[in-house]
Amino acid sequence: MTNRQSPVRKIAINLLLVLAPIILCIASLSIGRYQISTQEVIRVLISPVFPDAAADITEIAKQLILRVRLPRVLAALLIGASFGSTGTAFQAIFKNPLVDSNILGVTSGAGFGAALALLFLFNNWQVQGLAFVFGLVAVFLSFLGSRLYKTAPILVLTLMGILVGTLFSSLTSLLKYIADPLDTLPAITFWLLGSLASVTWARITLLAIITLLGVIFFILIRWQLNILSLGDKEAASLGIDPVKMKFIIIVVATLMTASAVSTSGVIGWVGLVIPHLGRLLVGPNHKRLLPVSISLGVSFMIVLDSIARALLPGEIPLGVLTGIMGVPLLILLLRRSRTGW
Amino acid sequence: MNMRLQASHLCYSYTPNKTVLHDITLKLDEGEKLFVLGPNGSGKTTLLSCLAGILQPDQGEIKLNDRGLRTYKAAEKAQIIGVIPQGHSPAFPYTVFEMVMMGRAPYLRWLDLPSKDDQNIVETVLDQLGLFDLKDQPYTEISGGEQQLTLIARGLAQKCQILLMDEPTAHLDLSNQHKIMEIIDQLSQSGISFVISSHQPNEALHYADSVMVMNQGWVIENGPPQDIVTEMMISTVFGISTEVLYSKEGQRLPRAVVPRRPVQVRPGSLIDPDGFLNEIFAKRHQNPQLLLLTGLKGIGKTAWCLKLMQIAKKQGIEMEGIVSPGVYSGNMKTGIEIMDVRSGEKRLFAKLNLGKTQDLSTPRWSFNPDSIAWANDVLKKRSASELLIIDELGPLELLRDEGFVEGISRIDSREFHMAIVVVRPSLVPKALQRWPDAQVIRGVLE
Repeated sequence: MTNRQSPVRKIAINLLLVLAPIILCIASLSIGRYQISTQEVIRVLISPVFPDAAADITEIAKQLILRVRLPRVLAALLIGASFGSTGTAFQAIFKNPLVDSNILGVTSGAGFGAALALLFLFNNWQVQGLAFVFGLVAVFLSFLGSRLYKTAPILVLTLMGILVGTLFSSLTSLLKYIADPLDTLPAITFWLLGSLASVTWARITLLAIITLLGVIFFILIRWQLNILSLGDKEAASLGIDPVKMKFIIIVVATLMTASAVSTSGVIGWVGLVIPHLGRLLVGPNHKRLLPVSISLGVSFMIVLDSIARALLPGEIPLGVLTGIMGVPLLILLLRRSRTGW
Repeated sequence: MNMRLQASHLCYSYTPNKTVLHDITLKLDEGEKLFVLGPNGSGKTTLLSCLAGILQPDQGEIKLNDRGLRTYKAAEKAQIIGVIPQGHSPAFPYTVFEMVMMGRAPYLRWLDLPSKDDQNIVETVLDQLGLFDLKDQPYTEISGGEQQLTLIARGLAQKCQILLMDEPTAHLDLSNQHKIMEIIDQLSQSGISFVISSHQPNEALHYADSVMVMNQGWVIENGPPQDIVTEMMISTVFGISTEVLYSKEGQRLPRAVVPRRPVQVRPGSLIDPDGFLNEIFAKRHQNPQLLLLTGLKGIGKTAWCLKLMQIAKKQGIEMEGIVSPGVYSGNMKTGIEIMDVRSGEKRLFAKLNLGKTQDLSTPRWSFNPDSIAWANDVLKKRSASELLIIDELGPLELLRDEGFVEGISRIDSREFHMAIVVVRPSLVPKALQRWPDAQVIRGVLE
């Protein structure tokens, strides 16, 4: 079997990948307890530029879309783009299709930071900030640990990531154990399950800046990911400094993941599953795979968040959903993929 | 002197106590094919990594086009030297086209994507090597020969002057080995220089302009292939007895190296007019004749020696040395004696441990140190005998210089006319590396 695709199929896939996130965004904005039609959504969205367009729409619908639903949908979009690109990049530099940007312990660290803040009844901002900081601390510790050894840096780094992740998970459990079961314990538990319910415009600013810059970075270096995925020795013989490049990629991906997880709580599986889906569609060449993964990540997160808030009368935790949807999807993809992965 | 690549006095070690390369010096001219020949683990791959600038040598200097290799930037270096690794499987199933395109990386800056020009170069190279029809196939699904070709194509897309190849034919069938070597040969005629690591002396004979032989990190020899690929060199380095076949025109041009099978020898051939042992015996005064008698355990190597002694005694041939016959009670070997070949005197040398507690910590045989000392005394007495028999030199002697050390030094110093040394099959390579002129025989009783 060849990876060759007919031009028609290629154009169709490209079109789908560009349109899907936009269509899903609009659809997602119309979904909710308070039903708003997609046509009204579009009119509200263009109203800042064309104020007349939304003249006949109730103020409550406008407020609901612009102040409640839109930041939430944008958060899902940004987090999806973040996981899609960092997952793809990490699978390339670790030469392993079964890792994502959580491999170095960023999520466990963020979870611990959030739990710590919630235990001491800090405000939302402080929770997000501490989660972000401890996400970075965890990856820094993994890095520091790997420097104890001289050989096999990437393998040792993976191992250190697992160890640091376990350490922070245990510390989080300790915090839960000493937390007040009527007050702080549920708060910690719900945070760890992941949700976008409390997202506001203010809270996604940092996420938006970091994610946009990071995504641009990954789009620019996407072809070089091919070479890094061949391993250090071959990359070096092809004129690329693998150590420096991987270090930069890890720093960027960690900032992105930490900002995503500190906004949403613990959400797993997306960065792992999406690149597989992308490879099934367009093959392993990162030049095409990376943009495709971003588009798929965005679509996947928007769909999941819509399900999270619309399927049941109450919210379904997002982290639970990504796992429930992600695992069967990955099994399906592994079965269908042509050459192992 | 305008050499493409020059290395002088390279040393490299992965860990402080284990030096992998010792004082390696080499030079490579335009269009030259240098073969680095050596057994597995001799340091060939490490040398290539140093030459490619992937590993930094601890000592010594490498010059690329008369400029220190260290002064090159990574991308600049990769435009001159390309590395073609051993067949490998990448983590992702890139197509042949995508793999070859990666050879353009040294020409692209950080944030560049391959351009239309790069695409044209890749397509030309694919066409040149006959890979065009495979370009959309996943690299992981094509044959080993096609994978090697793809990697060569990547090296060509890199537009290098020098290609370093690590065992390019290691996993290929005969036809693909031939195909790859012929392509390398043609590319070298177009001016590309090659450093090729290999453990195939025949490839070196046929294709090399010069050969460098490595063993345990040292350069043993270097020079033109016909001077280097000799029976002695192959015995010393690879521990196998071989025969070099020459071309018929009488020019003494070596054509091929083939392994020599052990000759099957009867003790009685000592007295046959055309017998093998008789012929060897006749040559004993020209130079010392050393035979390594080998064969699987229990096949009767000692019995063969005893039989030979009987025959030689009848002929009045003077003999010396030691043999070690077993002591049997019933069918069970319960001990080993040691016998002075000249006097027939025997000592008990080893005894089977028949204690009731046969746990693994007690050794199966207990040796008598006095008998070993006695045997060494026997071997030490040098006389003008015609035939020296030593049964046997085992791991103690060949690997640790213990046991019958006098036997070893006797053979090392060539103080014999004709010697037969019993060596178990697993130690034959070791013995051949030590005594490359020895002939290996397999004893058969009539």
